Amino acid sequence: MVGSQSSLREANRARVVDAVKRHGGLTQVELSGATGLSPATVSTIVKELVAAELVEVRNTVRSGRRAQLVTLAHRVGIVAGVLVGTRHLTVAIADVSHEILAEQVLPLPAEHRADTSLDRAALLVVDLLERVGAELPEVLGIGLGLPAPVDASSGQVTVRGILRGWDGVPVAQVLSKRLARPVFVDNDANLGALAESTVGAAREVHDALYVRAGHGVGAGIVLAGRVHRGVAGTAGEIGHVQVDPGGDICSCGSRGCLDTVVGDRALLDPLRSSHGHLTLADVVRLAGEDDPGCREIVADAGAVIGGVVAGLATSLNPELVVVGGALSTTGEVFLGPLREALRRRTLLQQVMPLDVVPAALGTRAELEGALALALQHTDLLEPQVESGLPGIVAAGQVGTGKGNR
Amino acid sequence: MRGRTPLLALRQVSRYFGAVEALVDVDLEVHAHEVVALVGDNGAGKSTLAQIVAGVLTPSSGQVEIDGEPVSIPSPSAANQLGVASVFQDLAVCENLDVTANVFLGQELRGRGGLLRDGAMETETRELLEHLTVRIPSVRTPLRHLSAGQRQAVAIARTLVGQPRIVVLDEPTAALSVAQTAEVLTHIQRLRELGLGVVLISHNLNDVRAVSDRIEVLRHGRNNGSFPATAAHEEILAAITGAA
Repeated sequence: MVGSQSSLREANRARVVDAVKRHGGLTQVELSGATGLSPATVSTIVKELVAAELVEVRNTVRSGRRAQLVTLAHRVGIVAGVLVGTRHLTVAIADVSHEILAEQVLPLPAEHRADTSLDRAALLVVDLLERVGAELPEVLGIGLGLPAPVDASSGQVTVRGILRGWDGVPVAQVLSKRLARPVFVDNDANLGALAESTVGAAREVHDALYVRAGHGVGAGIVLAGRVHRGVAGTAGEIGHVQVDPGGDICSCGSRGCLDTVVGDRALLDPLRSSHGHLTLADVVRLAGEDDPGCREIVADAGAVIGGVVAGLATSLNPELVVVGGALSTTGEVFLGPLREALRRRTLLQQVMPLDVVPAALGTRAELEGALALALQHTDLLEPQVESGLPGIVAAGQVGTGKGNR
Repeated sequence: MRGRTPLLALRQVSRYFGAVEALVDVDLEVHAHEVVALVGDNGAGKSTLAQIVAGVLTPSSGQVEIDGEPVSIPSPSAANQLGVASVFQDLAVCENLDVTANVFLGQELRGRGGLLRDGAMETETRELLEHLTVRIPSVRTPLRHLSAGQRQAVAIARTLVGQPRIVVLDEPTAALSVAQTAEVLTHIQRLRELGLGVVLISHNLNDVRAVSDRIEVLRHGRNNGSFPATAAHEEILAAITGAA
């Protein structure tokens, strides 16, 4: 019943939980300000929520006075996810039930460098932990995604030139030394594939392709429910499949790669004379607002990428193609031409015609994948965690990434 | 898409303080939907330029244009009238006042009989913060209880009152932690998305290259190069230091 005592109470509880989620951690006084509820009501609701094990209360200091910090209950422990993008760094803290406790995006310069970006990633992890009232030793593991093929054991980029400024850096070691926590590294498209195949659109199929189209193009290959990485971690790097034998030289050193045709620079340059300086986010937004030029660019990219995905799909015969990344948020503008390119291949239409769907996790798939990667590795350690020694489990070790993949 | 006429243009602007040449024949254009960064060494004239745009200083010679029309900006309130809002390094926020009072400081909404419309101001403050995706628990929190990053966010939110079209930010990320810097840079991207023209003054090339569309270098009060944000770090540094 609308307006009844109990529905009002329910709504107030939801407001408190929402406020805690939004801010990561809040004192009871701040909660009262954020929700507009009286301090007494907040206090009662927090007590109920603590009893229901939805939130936790710990002592803290605000403005020099003791206060009670309310955070979401961290079930068993927490993990951190770090996603290094072409122009963004995203850091998130989540508990083992995959609930995100805090998240922050930091815009990055073009061709950012490993030293500065990893330094900022480490500081952001610590800052976010503080926001949710947790400490570094509580972190079971850190999953990190890079927009380049990586060696799973060292986190080093395996193909020079693709991610300039990160060549030769043992990413996992650098970050785990800094934070004294195990760090697991993988390619961003592989992480997207991991997330979509465990909790996303492909969770009910065994063989799937995850295609990520943003600043560059990549794919994650899921075979028999596991992400296939290949010996050098370059499996699914469709951005470096040749599509134009007479084309430009790519950052990897080969000629006419898909990335030279549909990478960010290739998408933005043709718009320069008509639209001025745009970012990829502008193009995606304008395509959504029916700007004909931007729609054209996105649709053409879909068709070209579809051609390459068709080749990969013909070789692997997956049940489903899941499409993520910034371009996928334009919906059918991008997916339509991509789907059409697959439809023209006869083999893909047999017995079970290949379906193309947008990522269920949207542009968050890679970040969720980074968290899933950390969780996947810490699952193995759980018996020790339950024995009450979370602080020393695998401290300072670098994940091998081979155990369960 | 971008009109051909810039929102804000400085044409051959000079400003002298006695024998000191703070700015000499400087040109600058800012379009809607664009973040233009102004970088340079100490004393390069960045803040003088910001103060001219904000109406704190008047140019000794040269022309300021808004929407292609020559204008004179004799005072900060004149700048506000023209749709220019600024945040200076010291923020100029009041520690003892709450978020709402700071956002509407000097531009309070008044109802009949000159009474303050507290409710309306609170609602609008909440909307502005929401717009910028600012995380501040309550708009009634006094500023002294907020972090440096949150104060910067309040100062940026204040610029949005009265719907300006140009925002000038002087060193918005100085002395902030990484998480706070991340938030402020995200706010700057939001301003751009809202269609505003942003002039960003900063020493931090990393931050500047992360969010700007174009980087203008000032050296000894003169233009010393214009770069796309994708230009290499070294190239811009060379222009700042005069090594090129």
